[in-house]
Amino acid sequence: MTAANSTASLLEARALSFLRQDEPVFAPLDFQLRAGELALVEGDNGSGKTTLLRMLAGLLHVGEGELRWRGEPLQRDRCAGEILFLGHQLGLKADLSPCENLRIAAGLHGCRDGASVAAVLAEIGLRGYEDEPVRRLSAGQKKRAALARLLLLPATLWLLDEPYANLDRIGIALVNRILETHTAAGGAALVTSHGAVSFHGGEPRHIRMHA
Amino acid sequence: MNRPGLLTACTAMLRRDLTLAWRRRGDIAMPVLYALIVTMLFPFALGPEDTLLQRIAGGVVLVTVLLAMLLALDAMFSSDIEDGSLEQLVMAPQPLALMLGMKILAHWITTALPLIVIAPLLASMLHLPGAVIPVLLLALSLATPLLSLFGAVLVALTAGTRRSGMLLALMLLPLCVPAVIFAAGAVAAAQQGLPWLAPIIWLAAALVLAVVLAPLACAAALRIALDA
Repeated sequence: MTAANSTASLLEARALSFLRQDEPVFAPLDFQLRAGELALVEGDNGSGKTTLLRMLAGLLHVGEGELRWRGEPLQRDRCAGEILFLGHQLGLKADLSPCENLRIAAGLHGCRDGASVAAVLAEIGLRGYEDEPVRRLSAGQKKRAALARLLLLPATLWLLDEPYANLDRIGIALVNRILETHTAAGGAALVTSHGAVSFHGGEPRHIRMHA
Repeated sequence: MNRPGLLTACTAMLRRDLTLAWRRRGDIAMPVLYALIVTMLFPFALGPEDTLLQRIAGGVVLVTVLLAMLLALDAMFSSDIEDGSLEQLVMAPQPLALMLGMKILAHWITTALPLIVIAPLLASMLHLPGAVIPVLLLALSLATPLLSLFGAVLVALTAGTRRSGMLLALMLLPLCVPAVIFAAGAVAAAQQGLPWLAPIIWLAAALVLAVVLAPLACAAALRIALDA
């Protein structure tokens, strides 16, 4: 990333909303996210946090308003591979091991420079479970296996839907540390959560959602 | 950032689906057993007269193989939708249609190929003359990928709906008919010593068209299924 566009906004939403059967799911949103910034998406259950993230990931159509990526209207092929989405469904194949799951992801997305599957799994705390089928892992370990994708794949913007769910205290600290490293390296992240975030890399931006 | 090339992505995709199928080998055996049992029952029901069995052998093997493929069709994308792998695939910086093409190829390898392998056995159980078996295999190896591709589009279209199995069968029926007519036509012509190349070429033409268009339709349909 060059210095010029690290100060410009990475992602910008103007009067963004999503329509389900012509009813807006949440009130229009305006926000900006620069490189190196973390945004917390806050709102009650059913306020549309997941919908927002799926829309930013390009999985849902933008209902009304505008979404810009690096200053231009967001299009699927322009930001392909730059955005990584981690939803409630973890995207892991239960019959494959964490190691195999990560290799497939790397085959599709590519690897970060210097990152390797074994090193990433050790960092995320799955040493010794590399070759265990994902179906035999605990919910927290599955979550960790999915989070390992963040460390392995090259992406600028992370969209994390409840990344702390199912994790123990060490796991939560781990996610916070990963987020800090990511933003310090010029990445950005949008995180929905119910308050376990203790972020030391500057004040996170807050995006408040209202139904 | 170093993006993997298309070849790397395609092999990763193919290897993934083949590994998954291998981990659940029991599911692969199901269609094969089904085809074997159905074909075995025909001589018992119709009586072991050579002339009658010979006359229906080609058609029975074709229909049995296509029906056996239907059994496994429903599961083509369902597990990927359930565990969120499809979302990850849609967001990957690779052409979705090509990746789905690889999935369809893997599906064909794991369901249709075993059926083609046992087709000579099925045909000989019904006393199909040995000289006709190569034509039957040729017809099957063109008709089964056609069915996989048509089926994939329909599975993708019905992906969002619950209990899509029945809808799928109903929609697939009219698409199967031309494939069955041409494939059975080729086998019947070969059995009567007539030229059988024309229906085979029709099948091949349809297959070429489907190989190009079906993955694109699949990709569009799955994007719509996720967008809900």
